[in-house]
Amino acid sequence: MYILIIGCGRTGSYLANLLSKEEENVVVIDKDATSFEELSAEFTGFTVEGDATEIEVLKDAKLAKADSVVVTTDDDNVNAMIAQIASELYQVPKVLVRVLDSQKEVIYKELDVITMTPTSLLVDKFKDEIVRSV
Amino acid sequence: MRYNRIIKNRYKLIIKYIGILIMAIGGFLLLPLLALPFYPDEIIYLKAFVIPSIIFSSIGYLFYKKIDSKDESTLSLREGGIIVLSSWLVAIIASALPFVITGELNFTQAVFEATSGWTTTGLSVVDVAEAPHIFLLWRSIMQFFGGVGLVVVMLSSILHPYGFGLYNAEGRSDQLLPHVRRSTKAIMYIYCGYTISGIILYVLVGMGLFDAINHSIAALSTGGFSTRVDSLGYWDSLSIEMVTWVLMILGTINFATHFALLKGKFKIFFKNGEIRLLSALIALFVPVVIYFSLVELYDTLPNALRRGVFEIISAISTTGFSLNTFANWNQFGVFSVVILMLIGGGIGSTAGGIKLFRIYLMLKSLVWELQGFFLPENVVRENYIWRGESKLYIKPEYIKTTANYIFIYMITYFLGVLIFLAHGYPLLESMFEFASSLGTVGLSIGLTSPELPSLILWTQTFGMFLGRLEFLVIFFGIVKIIKDTKYLMPQK
Repeated sequence: MYILIIGCGRTGSYLANLLSKEEENVVVIDKDATSFEELSAEFTGFTVEGDATEIEVLKDAKLAKADSVVVTTDDDNVNAMIAQIASELYQVPKVLVRVLDSQKEVIYKELDVITMTPTSLLVDKFKDEIVRSV
Repeated sequence: MRYNRIIKNRYKLIIKYIGILIMAIGGFLLLPLLALPFYPDEIIYLKAFVIPSIIFSSIGYLFYKKIDSKDESTLSLREGGIIVLSSWLVAIIASALPFVITGELNFTQAVFEATSGWTTTGLSVVDVAEAPHIFLLWRSIMQFFGGVGLVVVMLSSILHPYGFGLYNAEGRSDQLLPHVRRSTKAIMYIYCGYTISGIILYVLVGMGLFDAINHSIAALSTGGFSTRVDSLGYWDSLSIEMVTWVLMILGTINFATHFALLKGKFKIFFKNGEIRLLSALIALFVPVVIYFSLVELYDTLPNALRRGVFEIISAISTTGFSLNTFANWNQFGVFSVVILMLIGGGIGSTAGGIKLFRIYLMLKSLVWELQGFFLPENVVRENYIWRGESKLYIKPEYIKTTANYIFIYMITYFLGVLIFLAHGYPLLESMFEFASSLGTVGLSIGLTSPELPSLILWTQTFGMFLGRLEFLVIFFGIVKIIKDTKYLMPQK
């Protein structure tokens, strides 16, 4: 499987390390080369330095051939744009997006995209804990 | 104490991996037996291969099984260095044993021959005319695995120690695909594919099958062991030489560049600095050497051209096949060949030498520096060169590392030449012979023979080993072992 990870922060790099260890082909894009230092020695994939909102960078990372794309940059608008490019223009089979602002989850309603909102998860969990204990 | 325990665990892991590699070496020792069905009377040499094979397979198995290491973590470059260093040493000793057991060579000569094989040098002290086929095949098998590297063979097949530590430690840094396992597999496919095509081509142009197998392996691994005393000069056939040109050049090209080529990216292929430098050097040296050195030796131009093209490609690709002796070349020709041998082939290929990439980088850096004087003071430039399929942006540290490498290479070279001179050999011959050893080339001006003093043979052995593993790994490996043993010693 060919997996493209966009955004090499804590989430992106952690996921990249795990997937590479599982012997998947992993390519990571980040606009800041220093963030690749987060990748551990287990990671044996490629890194691409560049702004993923530019089509050249995505082409360079062979977006068209990706089986899955994971979008985890720290900007919801960027995430939304890349997710749309990947699923609408390039028909990537599986697009996974991290959504930071839970209100923005609506953007993805019409798209064939898997979304995950850390804040909502946390809030739901805490709410359940509190409500149950009361 | 805690650190002590960590180190012990790491070494358990390292020894486990070494064990696996030793088992593999034990397995390789059985491969020459494939020649037996075709040459049944060589069955007398059976035990020379089976005994070492059993010894090393069982040692490897013991290391692998008896040491339980739950450490699943990744290997660093230094730890990879220890594994590479020790497994190469074991490989060389194990490969020397068959020669010693049959009494073909003494220990020094056998180690020399095995090192020459594993490092894909091709200098030889075996009497090729007399040697049985099984030994000739064994020499080629050493070159086959030595060319691509033990670690690549291992990573591509059995095992997957995580990470790049091991891969980088064997002098490879290019990646073909976004996973180390797939990269090594791709390398093995390319390598085996070319070898088989080479065998077919050789047979088509009229070489016997046994010679074709040996020469195809030796040309592609840029090894240069031949099954004939006169090397490729034996056939005196232009078509065989032309097949050899192609195979030697293929062998000296970086695997990542091959990958781009095989995917049909010709544009990128010709943008590659190594390819450009290689073409430029061949285009420059062939006419110059012919004009200044070969015209007086050959009566017709085509003959001089044939000889010139062949030897130049053989030297720059660090293969070491030759058509005839170098003894009657004039000093200009000999020194040109020395220069080409020092430069060597492509980085991340099977070739040796300083490597085209490093020379190209230094040339570029010189050009950038000179250009810098004519540019505005605050100009920002991004210097890059093409490597594999992508641009590689050059940082100043990169140039520093490269310059240091070339410096240590030249120091070692001069030290080696001094040892030759101390034995009373002439300067040019010494330079030729040691450039050939250190660059893992295998051309000989006539010095290398079984009668050489053993100190010279060891100097060459050492040079070949350093040249193949690119110094730093050996340095890392040894320093790390010494440092760690200091910790493990009971403190007073």
